[in-house]
Amino acid sequence: MFDGLIAFGHSLASFLDPLSIGLILLSSLVGVIIGALPGLTATMGVALMTTLTIKMPSNQALLVLICTYVGAIYGGSRSAILLNIPGTPASAASCLDGHALARQGLAGRAMGIATSGSVLGTLIGMFFLALFTPVLGDLALKFGAYEFFWLALFGVVIAGTLTGGDPLKGWIAGLIGILCATVGQEAIYAYDRFTFGDRNLAGGFNLVPALVGAFGFAELLSAVREKAIPVKINPFDSVIPKLIDVAKYWKTILRSGLIGTFIGILPGVGEDVAAWSSYAAAKRASKEPEKFGKGSIDGLMAAETGDNACVPGAIIPVLTLAIPGSAPAAVLMAAMLIHGVRPGPMIMVENPSFVYDVVAMMLFATLGILLYGLTLTKFLIRVLMVPKPVIIPIIFVLCVVGSYAIASRLFDVWVMLGFGVLGYVLRRMDYPVAPLVLGMVLGDLMEKGLRRGLVLSDGSLEPFLTRPISAVIWITIVLVIALKIPTVRRLLKMRAAPAT
Amino acid sequence: VTTGIYREHYASFTSQQSFMSSVTFPISPRKDLRGALAWLAFGALIVIMSWRMDRMESQGGTIYSSPGLWPGIVGFALTLLAGLLVLRSLRRAREAGWNAGETNDTVLAPARYFRLAAGMFFIYSLLLVGRGLPFWLGTALFVTAYVFVFRRAERLADGTAGSTRGDAILAIICGVATAVVVTLLFEQLFYVRLP
Repeated sequence: MFDGLIAFGHSLASFLDPLSIGLILLSSLVGVIIGALPGLTATMGVALMTTLTIKMPSNQALLVLICTYVGAIYGGSRSAILLNIPGTPASAASCLDGHALARQGLAGRAMGIATSGSVLGTLIGMFFLALFTPVLGDLALKFGAYEFFWLALFGVVIAGTLTGGDPLKGWIAGLIGILCATVGQEAIYAYDRFTFGDRNLAGGFNLVPALVGAFGFAELLSAVREKAIPVKINPFDSVIPKLIDVAKYWKTILRSGLIGTFIGILPGVGEDVAAWSSYAAAKRASKEPEKFGKGSIDGLMAAETGDNACVPGAIIPVLTLAIPGSAPAAVLMAAMLIHGVRPGPMIMVENPSFVYDVVAMMLFATLGILLYGLTLTKFLIRVLMVPKPVIIPIIFVLCVVGSYAIASRLFDVWVMLGFGVLGYVLRRMDYPVAPLVLGMVLGDLMEKGLRRGLVLSDGSLEPFLTRPISAVIWITIVLVIALKIPTVRRLLKMRAAPAT
Repeated sequence: VTTGIYREHYASFTSQQSFMSSVTFPISPRKDLRGALAWLAFGALIVIMSWRMDRMESQGGTIYSSPGLWPGIVGFALTLLAGLLVLRSLRRAREAGWNAGETNDTVLAPARYFRLAAGMFFIYSLLLVGRGLPFWLGTALFVTAYVFVFRRAERLADGTAGSTRGDAILAIICGVATAVVVTLLFEQLFYVRLP
């Protein structure tokens, strides 16, 4: 307990130099701006910043990425409240009550609620990040090839189930991602798969250009396809958060913080589901559910607390299991690998101080959003007024440069373009992109788990099914899938009907 | 974009439909069927290619360690799910018609703008960058052209068209500033190589 606190103190002190403070201020600002601009998401922001920080020392680079991530999730609330357009998908739930409050002339108060909810949500998630990571890390040491196979599969299944409206399409997107991860030399015999003799493909698709494409270029294509909406800002009052809002809605804050953190821990689900789940739970628990959607402070507080609590939650499985809890966390994990940090079960053995470094980074990011939440309103409005035709080509230049910067090869720019087109087509066909990304990230882990497990057990599936942790995970997967099968649902309804 | 879309999103999020449900669907059965058939063919192709991969028996490999095992399983699963999507599309078409369910909740820009923008993106990234032209020049040309063309189009569509000269000056400023800032930021500050 005290060892953890001492390590956390050391981590905090290590970032109290002028350069780190400057990076915190700058990257939080970049994050808030990226989040506030409709069409630019946290995933895209973290991916672009990964390429920019590639030559930095690892701790400073990850500090920049975490501040960008937290800032972007918070920044989305600004455009949700002021324009009724969520800056990031995570802020869609905030549109309902945030913009309703703005139309009543209470945009300032709504922004204050968003700031207090986001700050407290991140702090709640951060607390659980510090608390759960060592515990989960110890548990993860018991995992073998069999457990990792099921856990990775669980990630893709749950992401496919929860991130879109259509589980079937979510699972298909996840499988496409897994197939993308099979391109290149496989791990046991270095056999070239699906490379068609191309040397560039032998190393497989680099994750960062693929993510920049799937989230960055695809989003730009969508932004071009959609007609620009004239920006109209309602007049607003003071943005200073009111203590009475925090005191009155402490139950909502605590509940949403817990829900957000839990959803963050679920592989690949992410901030938008956390916000909607927190919103739905707040509505169910509220004494005034009829006010939801018409300017409910409870609803806005729940959505903002939930999505920001999800950020530290999504980093817990990254650190302990090397399984990302959200799409931006997947990019963060790729950045950790680029910078020589090996997330996974061994992290508490090999590099325990790193976990507390991440907690400290999260705390500084929270201070960053608090600072900009109180001071940046007019500047952000000016940023929101910048016309789309000016922003789009600049972001595209960053997508191209960012993809190239990872390995200094043009092939990565083509990968970015290819995944951008794939991401755009999938969106148009109503397929979610998050499972595709999770499939790409987890495909390798799944394959290694399956093949190693089969070789160890001489082809027997028994250890996959009978080892206790494996059994828990595969039964959960079966239940998640079964609950989406119409016959099973009908049977459950029929059984429930006589009881009621 | 209206709050109504988010209400629908919230409703769909909380409704917990099954994967064969035919209550609501934003894409028509016709489009879903086309996509499903493409995935079906792709999945089958992956299975065939995986089956043909070397089993590495000369190096003591077994079926469990063979390189084609995993992509074969994933390809098979994709074929299976795509088959389910085909069946669902057919059922939905029978229930509601081939074009039913199309909901257009976003206002789209004219398709020619989209084609032009996509063309400019590809020309910049495939021809202007990394092909001998200095990066700053290619970037300045691309950003200037994009800002000018689309700012002009946006103003004409809004009926707020200013002078062509004013738009051209704005486009040149954006192009030159982007080229200079990106070059300096990446090369001088972050020591990242540019194409």
